Amino acid sequence: MAKDMTLLWGSGSPPCWRIMIALEEKNLQGYNQKLLSFEKGEHKSKEVMDINPRGQLPAFKCGDVPVNESCAACFHLECKYKSQGTKLIPDCEAGLAQILQRVFEVNALVEKSSNVIYYNWKVPEGERHESAIKRNKEALTAEVKLWEGYLQKTSSGFLAGKNFSLADVIVFPAIAYLYRHGLSEERYPKLTEYYKNLMNRPSIKATWPPTWKETPGQDILKDI
Amino acid sequence: MAKLMSLLWGAGSPPCWRVMITLEEKKLQGYKRKLLSFEKGEHKSQEVLEVNPRGQLPAFKHGDIILNESCATCLYLENQFKSQGIRLIPDSAEDQAATYQRMMEGLALTDKLNSVIYYDCSVPEEERHDSAVKRNKEALTAELKLWEGYLENVAAGSYLAGAFSLADVIVFPSIACAFRFGLSVGRYPKLAKYYSLLKNRASIKTTWPPHWVASPQGYDILKDL
Repeated sequence: MAKDMTLLWGSGSPPCWRIMIALEEKNLQGYNQKLLSFEKGEHKSKEVMDINPRGQLPAFKCGDVPVNESCAACFHLECKYKSQGTKLIPDCEAGLAQILQRVFEVNALVEKSSNVIYYNWKVPEGERHESAIKRNKEALTAEVKLWEGYLQKTSSGFLAGKNFSLADVIVFPAIAYLYRHGLSEERYPKLTEYYKNLMNRPSIKATWPPTWKETPGQDILKDI
Repeated sequence: MAKLMSLLWGAGSPPCWRVMITLEEKKLQGYKRKLLSFEKGEHKSQEVLEVNPRGQLPAFKHGDIILNESCATCLYLENQFKSQGIRLIPDSAEDQAATYQRMMEGLALTDKLNSVIYYDCSVPEEERHDSAVKRNKEALTAELKLWEGYLENVAAGSYLAGAFSLADVIVFPSIACAFRFGLSVGRYPKLAKYYSLLKNRASIKTTWPPHWVASPQGYDILKDL
């Protein structure tokens, strides 16, 4: 049950946020949780390493079993608690396929976002190139357009099928991350509609990153 | 069933290989398939773009259903054909969690491998730095040591998450790739044991990259890791 679960998390981290949304959707509130600070390097603390030897957040345990990869944790929660809370994976073939496709495509979105947002953090000064920054921005622009296209094709307002699903649990945090970092609301109307619509969903509202409420965002993505 | 399935694939690509292993394990032989060449840029052909607008392989169809992410395809096949062939996701919740965990971690391994093996393909010449190559190799080394640790007790029937599972389907191709590119058997004995235990598994042997069979001598880019 929720009391046997422990989540160590960081504010604003999409992978952490995914698990928290899933826990809310499956009515598993009441889990043990601790907010840690990336800035203070707490993700490399012994407490985290004991659960996640990679020194990354989320560090999540279901009973004794560590499930630190956010997609793994979300799949696990949906499978184990299928009959409680929101059904995040439908029974039909086509629905399942669409959800799985979008869930794993999110890696491309996250990678390209991070190549732009964290360029200076990932690339030492001596290795930085304007040409790389330009290429990364172009790649992210193409990626964001792809997702805008996906949302243009759905009429339900969700990423896959007619209802809120695991695809939205996994992908929404990555979309919200783009807006937090200055993505233009006007340039991507369907994505913006998706973002504004889901930000009021109870599970998402309840788990909104606390630091996002306290501080303004950045504008590094304003030209994307 | 398999007759309604089609796969566009490239040789030696771990994501393509994962899907092919799964199809074998689920007894879905007989699917339509077409081998395409990355060197000739066939992954960007109209034929692929119609199935996968990202111009990447694998590109998989089951009737009208399209799945281009290998993990998505493997999970879909296991789910739809649960009772056929080998069970790739165990029943118990704890074992499932361990399987999903290793599966997803497998993506980190593949990324780090690619950043070393395909450095020159993905980074234009003017942007390449020895310091980046060194850093990527260090990250890959740390990653491989993690997997060496996960396989501490590897034995026949005891793999990444117990019995052969989707975790092995996802991860084995990358391990095989690492050895193909010169990873030291002596320095990674558990990985080497895992590799030698599974390389003769029917589904893996049948789908072994054809050009690896034709020229068993690989490369040595990873020999110093």
